[in-house]
Amino acid sequence: MTSPKRYYTVIAALVLVVVVSLTIFSLNFKSPGKAGFFKKIVLEMAAPLNYAVNLAFSSIGGAWKRYVMLVGLEKENRELNARVVSLTRDVNDYREISLEYARLKKLMNIKGGSGFPTVVARVVGRNRLSVFRTVLIDKGTADGIEPGFPVITAEGVAGKIMEVSWNASKVLLLVDYNSNIDALVQRNRCQGVLRGRGGSWCELKYVQRSEDVEEGDVVISSGLAGVFPKGLVLGKVAAVDKEEAGLFQRIRVSPAVDITKVEEALVILKRTGEDR
Amino acid sequence: MIYYLLLPVFSLLLLTIQITVFDILFFGKAGLEISLILVVYAGFHLSLARGGILSFVLGFFLDCITGVMPGFFVFNYMLIFLISKAVSLKVYGGGIIFTAGFTFICALLGKLLIALMYEVLYGISVFYDVLNVSFLQAVVTGVSAPAFFALFYRLEGLLNVWESRSPDQL
Repeated sequence: MTSPKRYYTVIAALVLVVVVSLTIFSLNFKSPGKAGFFKKIVLEMAAPLNYAVNLAFSSIGGAWKRYVMLVGLEKENRELNARVVSLTRDVNDYREISLEYARLKKLMNIKGGSGFPTVVARVVGRNRLSVFRTVLIDKGTADGIEPGFPVITAEGVAGKIMEVSWNASKVLLLVDYNSNIDALVQRNRCQGVLRGRGGSWCELKYVQRSEDVEEGDVVISSGLAGVFPKGLVLGKVAAVDKEEAGLFQRIRVSPAVDITKVEEALVILKRTGEDR
Repeated sequence: MIYYLLLPVFSLLLLTIQITVFDILFFGKAGLEISLILVVYAGFHLSLARGGILSFVLGFFLDCITGVMPGFFVFNYMLIFLISKAVSLKVYGGGIIFTAGFTFICALLGKLLIALMYEVLYGISVFYDVLNVSFLQAVVTGVSAPAFFALFYRLEGLLNVWESRSPDQL
């Protein structure tokens, strides 16, 4: 039979857990983005370990993936060929637009690019199974990275730096529930806030029902909150729902960056509030 | 003593395998939270001190590597450990169905706790999204728990033998 003393021990431990957890919560809410010494140590150890295990298993993973993917390969190949034709046409159009833009920009004497230095980082760890959507990269304060810096890829915005140690950083992806980015619909410039919805999609919030937003519209960063430079691609509108009652429409956005496939990313060394 | 020395290394390795290897093998579509299974196992088979420290270390490492809410995994894992401990005082946890069912409930409890925290701290309702993403993961974790229980039992046996042969026990 179990003695009551053991129950009291468990209850006492439970109270202790609640107190310790609440203390950790409150301490971190006081200084968000600052990783403590022990956290930094864990990040420092986890990043190379993740990288080594990744390296060891990626060849096995590659062979495994090729085998599994072989089934749909022929169909995918046909679709890709058709897409190449369509994209080649698009590239030509865009090249013309780009040349025209370059000429106009030269005339207006505007400095090109984001105007901020960048650092290339490798993704060394990710936990796609967690409700929290973060990845670990192999660059930290030693490379000038600070919490809040935007993280982008060739396709668009991936997220922002959340915590930093000396040689590793944790990136909060734009699909995480805690991610809120001030955004614009590129076509009609209507403004909203892009909030992560877990999984692999986001929601553009606070867009008036009267605004004309269509499926396929590109969503870009507005640059207003000061974290992300203006004009970075965030995603595409996947669905618009005006049926629900209320002031705003429900806009589902598919991120431009496939976060499950990000291997390298660019960290913009831009502090909050800095302008181009 | 060996247990406490090996604990951080073993925990970090376990989490790395959990995050990296399963991600590669299942393309991130299916999940297996071995760390949670270990916490439940600790509740049934380890002492309050050993299991508590194991749960704390696993939770802390997971918080550092992937957590968004600081301290959440520490709280979650220690809560699950203590619930398992309390249940173990009344129920024999050796049956396969019981192990699978209980681990499934614990996995789901963890996810519901996340949803509850979002509701309380940020006022965001994510119950449906969290359940949608995590239900299958909880099922996979629950179903595979008995096999991992057997594995952990063997590892614990090996560790006990090692500890009994170490000089500080002589």
